[in-house]
Amino acid sequence: MTTPLFAIVGHPNKGKSSIVSTLAQDESVTISPIPGTTVDNRYYPMRVDGETLYALVDTPGFQRARAALEWMQKQPGSSVDRSNIVRMFVEEHHDDRRFAAECSLLTPILDGAGILYVIDGSRPFGEEYEAEMEILRWTGQPSLALINMIGDSDYSEEWNHALGQYFRIVRIFDAMTADFDRRIQLLLAFGQIREEWRESLEKAVRILKEEQQRRRKLSARTMAETISRMLTYTCQRRLSGDGASDAVRDSLQQAYQRELTSMEQECRNAVEQIYNHTHLERHEPLVQLLDEDLFATQTWLLFGLTQQQLITTGALGGAATGGVIDLAVGGASLFLGAGIGAMIGGVSAWVTTDRIADIKILGLPLGGKQLSIGPMRNINFPYVVLGRALYHHSVIEDRTHAHRDPLELNQQPAGLQTLDTGHRKQLEKIFVKLRRQETPSTDLVDTLAEQIQKLMELPVSGTTKTPA
Amino acid sequence: MTHSSLIGDLIDLNSALKSDSSTDSDEKKQRDRAIGQALQQQRNSPARQLRGWLDQVSIGAWKRDGHHAVQLYHVLCVILVFAGLASGWGLARVVLYYTGNAPINIVNALGLLVLPQILLLLFWLLSTIPNRIPLLGSLQSALRFLNPGRLTRHLARLFPDRSRHSLSLVWDAEYATALAPAARWLFSFWSQLFSFCFNIGVLMAAFYMISFSDLAFAWSTTLNIDATTFHHMLSALSWPWHTLFPDAVPSPELVEISRYYRLEEASFGNAMVASRLAVKLSQWWPFLITAIICYGLVPRLLTLFISWLRFRHHLAHALSRLPGSPELLARMNSPLISTSAPQPESVAEIDAGTGYGPPETGSYALQCAVIDWSGTGVNSESAAKQLQAMGISCQDFLLAGGIRSTDQDNATIGSLCDLKPEGVAVIVKSWEPPLLEFLDFIQSIRAQCNRQQPIIILLWGGRDGVSALDRETWQLTLRQLKDPDLHIETMGSVR
Repeated sequence: MTTPLFAIVGHPNKGKSSIVSTLAQDESVTISPIPGTTVDNRYYPMRVDGETLYALVDTPGFQRARAALEWMQKQPGSSVDRSNIVRMFVEEHHDDRRFAAECSLLTPILDGAGILYVIDGSRPFGEEYEAEMEILRWTGQPSLALINMIGDSDYSEEWNHALGQYFRIVRIFDAMTADFDRRIQLLLAFGQIREEWRESLEKAVRILKEEQQRRRKLSARTMAETISRMLTYTCQRRLSGDGASDAVRDSLQQAYQRELTSMEQECRNAVEQIYNHTHLERHEPLVQLLDEDLFATQTWLLFGLTQQQLITTGALGGAATGGVIDLAVGGASLFLGAGIGAMIGGVSAWVTTDRIADIKILGLPLGGKQLSIGPMRNINFPYVVLGRALYHHSVIEDRTHAHRDPLELNQQPAGLQTLDTGHRKQLEKIFVKLRRQETPSTDLVDTLAEQIQKLMELPVSGTTKTPA
Repeated sequence: MTHSSLIGDLIDLNSALKSDSSTDSDEKKQRDRAIGQALQQQRNSPARQLRGWLDQVSIGAWKRDGHHAVQLYHVLCVILVFAGLASGWGLARVVLYYTGNAPINIVNALGLLVLPQILLLLFWLLSTIPNRIPLLGSLQSALRFLNPGRLTRHLARLFPDRSRHSLSLVWDAEYATALAPAARWLFSFWSQLFSFCFNIGVLMAAFYMISFSDLAFAWSTTLNIDATTFHHMLSALSWPWHTLFPDAVPSPELVEISRYYRLEEASFGNAMVASRLAVKLSQWWPFLITAIICYGLVPRLLTLFISWLRFRHHLAHALSRLPGSPELLARMNSPLISTSAPQPESVAEIDAGTGYGPPETGSYALQCAVIDWSGTGVNSESAAKQLQAMGISCQDFLLAGGIRSTDQDNATIGSLCDLKPEGVAVIVKSWEPPLLEFLDFIQSIRAQCNRQQPIIILLWGGRDGVSALDRETWQLTLRQLKDPDLHIETMGSVR
C-alpha cells in the first residue's frame, strides 16, 4: 500500500498554506498576502513513531496556467494520453523559470499525489481558474476541492457549481476557525478520494484523537496544579513595629497579585505548549482578587512553630502530666487529670504565645508579628480561575495554527454558572479540602484534574464540545 | 532498588528536568519517545521508567548532584546511629548504675527505659493514622512538628552547600505537593532509626552491666501500690512474652521480696538470707531486658521498617509527580506524532520597491486605452464615468486575460500599439492577486508600444469593494516591476 500523499494546489493567496498549517499543526508555515511567497514544494508528513501515515505537500500557486495549458493542448495525442502530456510538460520545462511554479506543483501529482484544490469561497468565481482546473483534470489523479472561507462574503454556491464540473468531491473548510472535529472530518474526506488510502487515514484519525485526549489530560493536570497552588498560596512579611502601614499592605498585596498572575501565566504557557502553540502573543485581563480583605496579622515563632501547633503541643504536654496523676490514683480520677491538664496546657500556650514572641535571647527575638495575605477564601475564586483556564484551553484547543493574530482573551467567559449541581458539588468538595491544606496533596490535585478533564467535554461560553 | 539510590535519582531527575526545560520541544519528543520505546516493558511502573530514562538521557548543561545528596543522607544516618547508640548506652548506664549499696529501683528503670517508649510509640501511631477525625489534623501536625527526625534537617546545614541543597529538595516547600509525604516519612525514618539504635545502646549497656557486675533490683514507689497490685501490673506488662519466656515474668514471690522495706527487714535479720536475697534480686534482669526488647526494640524495628517502606513508596511516587515528570512520561509512552515539515521553508524575498503616488496634478488628464483583464465583469459605461472622474477618458475598451488565449492577449497588445494612446488603464479584480502572467502582460505592453507613457492599474472590488489588504497586495507585487510610470488606482468603494 502506498502512503497517501496530497498536493495542496490552487491559485496563489487562496489559503493553501493556511490549510497546510492547520492540518499539520505547524505554525512555522509562512502565510503571506503576497502571491508567490511559497516558491518550492514543502512536505508535511504525518509520522507516528517513524511510520508515515500520510503526507501533505504545500505547493506554489499557478502563475502561468493559461500558457501551460496552451502548450499541452498543442501536443498531439488523445485524451488517454493527457497525463503523459502533463508529464512531458514538466520534463520539458523543469529548467524553465517561466513555468517553475507549474512544474513544482505538478511534480508530486505526477508522482501519485491526490489533488486538494483550494479556492477562496468568500471571493467570486472567475474565468481565470478554468485553465488550472483543466490542467489538474489532465493529470488524471484523484481530487477533492476545498472551498476555504477566508473573508466574510459567501460565494460558495457559485463555486460549488463551478468546481462540481471538475471535482467529484467538494468540501467547505475554514482553515482559520476549523476545530478539531472539522479537521478530523476533512482527513476522513481525504480517504474518500482513493479507497486504498482510507485505512491509513483512519489510523491517523484514531491516533490524532488519542493524542487529543492525552493533551486534554496533561492540560487538566497543569490546570489542577495551578489552581491548587493559587488557592493555597500565602505571602508573608515580618513587621518591624506593632502594626502594618498602608504602604506595607499595598506592597504585599501587589506581590501576592503578581505571584497569582505569574502562576496563571505559567499555566497558560504550559497549555499552549501542549497544543504546539509556542509563539503566541496573548492578551488577557489580570485575575481579580475577590476578597476585600485578605490580610491577617499573626504571631510568628522561632523554629517555625505556629500558634496552633504551640497550643496543641501545650495541650499534649498538659494531658501527659495529668495522665501521670490519673495513673497515680489508679484511674480513679476517670482521666480528669489528663483532660484538665490538656485544657490548662492549651490555654496557657494560647495566652503566652505573644509573650514568648516578645522574649529575646542574646538579642535574638523568639518571635514577632507578621502580616500575611492569602490564602484566598472567597468561594467564587476557584470557579473564576477555573472558568478562565477552561476558556483559555477551549480557545487554544480550537485555535488553528494558521491563526497568526494575538490571542485575545478579553471576552471573559460566562464561567461555570451553568454547571450542573453534580459537577458543582464535586468541585466544591475538592475546593473545600484544598482551602484546608497548606500544601495541596497530590491525590487532591489528581481528583481535581479528573474533574477538569470532565469539564473540558462540557460547553464553555455557549460552545458545545464533544469528546475527542 | 534501595531508597538511598531513589533519593539520588529523585534529585538527579529534578535537576535533569530543570536543565531540559530549555531543550527544543521536538528534540525532547524524539529523544524521550526513543527511550520510552526501549523501556516499554516498564511502562506500568512510572518510577522504574523514569529511572531508566535517567540512565539513558544526556542533557547538555545537566550536572548530576544526586550522589552528593546520597552521601549526605548516609552520613546523617550514620550520625543518627551513633547518636542513638551513645544516648541509649549513656542513659542505661545512668539508670542501671549500681554500687552494691542500694539495689536499682525497677520502677525507675521501667519509667525511664520502657514507659516513655510506649508513650512515644502511641504518639507515632497517632501521627501516622489517616486524618479523618476533626482536630486530629492539628494534633498530628503538632506531633509531626515535634518529631525529632526533623532536627536532622538542621544537622544537614552543617554540611557543604552542594550536598545540603540537593538533599533539601525532599523537604523544600516549593516541591511540597509532590514530596511532602516522602519528607514526612523521611523524618519518621530518621527518628525511628535513632530510636532503634537508642534501644540497641540501652541493651548493649544492660548486657554489659549484667555481664560484668551483680546487679540487684528492687522496687519502690511513692504511689499507694501493694505487692499484689504491682505484680498484676507487671504481669500485664509481661503478657506479650509470658508464654514464650516465662522466666522473664516476675513471680509474686520476687515482687514481694523485692520491695525496698522488705529488703531492709531481711538484711537486718540474717546475713545468709541477705545473700540469697541478693541472688534472687538479680532475677529481675530478664524481665527488664525483655520489656526493653518488647516495648522498645521490636516496635522500633517495626516502625523503622514501616517508615522505610513508606518513605520508599512515597519517594518512588514522587518521581512521577515532580514538575515536568507527567509530561516526560507522556512523551515516553505516547506515540511520537509529527505532522510538521522536517525541512525549513524557503520563502521568496520580496523587494519593498518604491511606492505609487497619485499624479502630481491630482488628475491624470489622459486619453487612455482601457483593458478589462480577466473578465472583471465591470460595466464599460460605468467604468468610463469613474475614469472620467480621474481625468482619464476612455479611447477604446479592450479585453485580455481570463479565458482568452495568450495569442489573443498579444493581439490585444497589437491593437493597443496601433491606437497610440497617451496612457493605458488596466481594470483588474482587486481580490485576485497579480499573477506572473499579468506582470508578463504589463511588461509586454511596456516593451512593445508604451515605453514612457503611464500605465494605470485600476483595482475593481466588485460588490464587496476594494480592501486595504488587497490594495497592499497589488502594490507590493507590482513594485517588483520597478516601473516609475506604473500607477495603482482604486475604482468604486474602498473597504
